[in-house]
Parts: sequence; structure tokens; C-alpha cells
Amino acid sequence: MTATMTVRRGPGEVVLTGAAVLSAFGRGMTALADGLDAGTPAFQPVDRFDVTGRRVGVAAAMPGSPVLADELVRVVDEACDEAKLSTAERAGAPLFLALHGDPALARVAEADRRRHSSTAFTAALAGGTGLAGDLPLGAGIRAYTSACVAASTAVADAAAAIARGELDRIVVAGGYLVDADQFSLFDAGRALSTDGQVRPFSDGRRGLLLGDGAGAVVVESATAARERGVPALARLAGWGRAGDAYHPCQPHPEGHGLARAITAALQRAGIGAGDLGYVNAHGSGTAQSDAAEATALRTALGEHAATVPVSSTKSLHGQALEASGVLELIVTLHALRTGRLPVNAGFLAADEHCPLNLVLDGFTAATPSYALSLNAAFGGANTALLVGSA
Amino acid sequence: MSDLILDPAAHEQGLGTAELFVEEIPPLTALATRAGLDVVAAADWPEPGDEELPKLAGFVHSSFNPLVAATAGRCLQRRAESAPPAVTAIVLVTSTGDAASAAHVAGAVDAGGRIGPLFFFQSVPNAVAGHVAAKWGLTGPVVCVDSTDAGLDVARLLLADGDAGEVLVVLLEQATVPEAITGTSHDTASAVVVVERGTA
Repeated sequence: MTATMTVRRGPGEVVLTGAAVLSAFGRGMTALADGLDAGTPAFQPVDRFDVTGRRVGVAAAMPGSPVLADELVRVVDEACDEAKLSTAERAGAPLFLALHGDPALARVAEADRRRHSSTAFTAALAGGTGLAGDLPLGAGIRAYTSACVAASTAVADAAAAIARGELDRIVVAGGYLVDADQFSLFDAGRALSTDGQVRPFSDGRRGLLLGDGAGAVVVESATAARERGVPALARLAGWGRAGDAYHPCQPHPEGHGLARAITAALQRAGIGAGDLGYVNAHGSGTAQSDAAEATALRTALGEHAATVPVSSTKSLHGQALEASGVLELIVTLHALRTGRLPVNAGFLAADEHCPLNLVLDGFTAATPSYALSLNAAFGGANTALLVGSA
Repeated sequence: MSDLILDPAAHEQGLGTAELFVEEIPPLTALATRAGLDVVAAADWPEPGDEELPKLAGFVHSSFNPLVAATAGRCLQRRAESAPPAVTAIVLVTSTGDAASAAHVAGAVDAGGRIGPLFFFQSVPNAVAGHVAAKWGLTGPVVCVDSTDAGLDVARLLLADGDAGEVLVVLLEQATVPEAITGTSHDTASAVVVVERGTA
């Protein structure tokens, strides 16, 4: 039997005051919103690197070869500008960065690896964006490398610290750009979809496809934002993270950890399952993971799991690995703020193991007050981020 | 680090066989105590008498994953048996991840060669954290961060907010002498199980 605990949180309200994004649809929120509304998947043959000899040659990648460090500087700057952070406020704000690692690490001499650590990469980004300069060494920057929950875990940790009044704001960023090494690994692991599409929760789904993603959000105390006169984009109402204790890389078949993460997020928000208006699912498009997630939703939401609108936008923008959590949080923010719930693309036919109310016929107009963003990763790591209307 | 003094409360609660090595207190133990946490178990790899690192089925090529598993297991075994069941989180601290395996994959990619599927399964530090979690029934959050300060801060907040009743923190230290020079890995690892101060 799984041990359970009652989660707590600090009393402070947490909001998002800035958000910026890059996806396979292009740089910026408008490009992403247009892509989500159009509902046409961004998967294309890969020309960024050689895919000769791979089983699969498709990904959701922007044209050309964008540079991760440059794109991260851009999204962090944009998010900080939207939040109207002054130079001094930037210098006092920690940076939590979700990434696989310095893209150069695997090809430098062994003696140079320390200079290409995740810490060094994060420090360079902080330096390039004016963040954390006034904070003591070790307190101002942090890298999260927890695979597909790296960014969502960073957001949850930032929210926890801010709710407890320990900090006024934290900038959370994440980035992954489709690269030859990860592509080859996923191909070797037979994880990539062989029919060129990602079909979350659908009968006949064949796996995931990788996608570019970079994003940044300013997570802030509602009080601090009010005092600065900066409007909130949304409230970060709840958060949860829990483990499956099941397998190095497979999810628990009944989604135990994900169900507990969702329950924790609802508890922290102080709302019931019936208050949810949209779920942006992890929905990787793999057989086991989607069925486990559907079961987790049933466990955590009860009868509401059959009615709340659900989509996995990985079917549109692909799997952005360590950046997924922040990219999909921004997608969820878009749904909440515009009332346009993005489609779950690639659907062929219902799977009895996934009895969910999927958004299937283009984007759906709705007015959700609360929306949930879910992520799961290797190691049985699961997260749930719950955003509410500002 | 022999000049560091253990928190007396933590000492009374016992550190298992780690007490035998008080003269060589792992820095992680001292840092956890300094971060306001009670350490209820601690372990290193290597410790006196250690020779060959046990192999870890399903993980290949580098010492990274076997080191995490061996050190975590040793630390968890040292928890008091009478401890009540608790949700345990795992926080893995590594500034580069499994760089040796990443370099091997990069070499294969650049040469147009085939990559073994096991490298996919161990391509992120979460995988071995999940192995440890599955083996020991750790149902709390699974988190990987780059620094000890970050890891201990994550642990502190998970405990304070009830996401876990105890946290296993495992720190991988990359050797300063490259493996290419000595022909063998000198990477080391430390682990602690921490709880909120005064709750052990």
C-alpha cells in the first residue's frame, strides 16, 4: 500500500507575471497561439542533422539551427520585461533553469567538463540576463535536470518558496532544442512514433516525437506584484509532485504517482475536481504512459475525469523533454486566458483504456476558471501545476 | 572535514555505522545539518574497505549509475528499522549528469554508428533515481538538481510542505583527475537521509 501524506503550503498567494516562449511554431506567444488554434501538427522531416539510418526522421523543429543559450536569453528577457522587472529586481531574483545539460558537454575534453556543467551554463544565462547578481553564490542559480518534469518541478519549487514568503519572485526557464544525440537515443530506444504523428490517448498510437521548446515564467508573490502595480497573468493556485516507485523508465500502470501529484495540487489550491475546466495532459502518445495517465485522472478526479476537457498538445508541438513543463504551462496559460482549449491532434479512434473527454474537433471555446498542466518523466517522476484565473 | 561538528540532536538519534567514521564526516552530512535538517542516515562510496563498485543490471558503460545505486542503498539500509513508514523523496545532485555515457553517445552519433538501447534508458539521471525509488519503495518526488545547496533546499521545502516525510539526498562528485589519465573512475558519492529538525 502506498503511504500518503497531507500536503501543506505557505499562506502567500502565488501568481505568474511574465511568460515567454519558443516552440516549433516559431518564436513568441503569437506564433504558439496561432499554431495551437490552427491545430495542425508541426512535425516535419528533420534537416537540422543527419537522420540517415534512423528508424524515424521526423520532429517538430523550427527551421535552421537555433542556439539554446541565445534562445534562453531571449525568453528570459521577454518574460522579465513583461513582468516589468527593474534592473535591481532582476539582480535580486533567482534563476531556476531546466535543461538536459550544456549542449557542448558531450564533445569537450574530459578535463573541460566542469566548465560545461549545468551550473556553469545556468550561471552564464543569469549573467547574460542580469538575474541573481545580488544573491549569494549558491542561492541565486539552480539547474533542474529531472528529464521531462525538470521545468514543472522547478515551477513547483519556486511556488513553494514564494508561498512561504521566502522570496518575492523567481524566474523559471527551460529549454530543449531537437538535437542529434537525444534524437538518436530516442530512436534507439524505439520510443519515436513511426507514422509521423503523435496520437495521445488514441487507439493505434505509436509513440512520441521530439519538439523544440524554450520558455520562461516569472513566478511572483501576489502581494509583491500588487505593490509593484504589475498585473498577474494568472494565479499559480496549486502544485504537486510525487513518485511511482515502480521502474527506472516506465510509469506505474495505474498512475499512482501522477494521481497523488494531481491530488496534492488540488489540495493546495483548495478546490475540488469539479472546478477544473481544462487539463493539458502529459499525453506522450505512448501506449503505456497514456493509459496510466487516464487511470491517474480517474483516481484523482473521480467522475469528473470523464467530463473535464483534456488534450495533449504534444500532438502539435512535440515532446520538448526538460522544457516540457514550462512550454506546456504557457500553453495552459493560453487556454485559461483566451478560453480556447487546444485540440488533441492525431486522434484515430477511442481507446477503451483512455475514457477521457478529449478536445477533438479543433480548438474548443470555454471559460475555465482553473486548468491543470501534467507532466511525467523517467524515474517515475510526476508533476501537476494548477493555474487559476487572475 | 574532520573539524565539523555533528549536530548533537542528530548524533543522539544515531547515524548507524556512519558513526564509525566521525573523523571523516562526509561534507554532505555537515552541509545538511547546517541547512537545518536532521540527518538520520549517511553513507559514502567509497568507505574504508570498499573495493570494486557493484555492477548495476541494466546500466552500462560508466560508474555514474552504479555509484548512485550503491551509495543510496547503503544509506537507506542504515535508517533505523523502527522508523515509521514515511513518504521518501529522492533528490539526486549532479552538475554534469552521466557525462561519460553522453560522450560515448556523441562519439557514436558523430561516427554514424549504432547506439545501444540501454543508453536511451540511462540518458537522464532520473532513470537511476527511479531504480532506487522502485527498489526501496520511495514514493515521494524525484528531483535532480546541479548543486548540493539546491538539493538540500529542495529537500527542506519538500519536508516543510509535507510532500515527503524524509528525503534521500545523493551527491555525485566528479573526480578532479580525468578517467582518461588514470584509466579508472575516481568519481565518488555521498548520501544522507534527512528529516525536518526535531521530528526524527
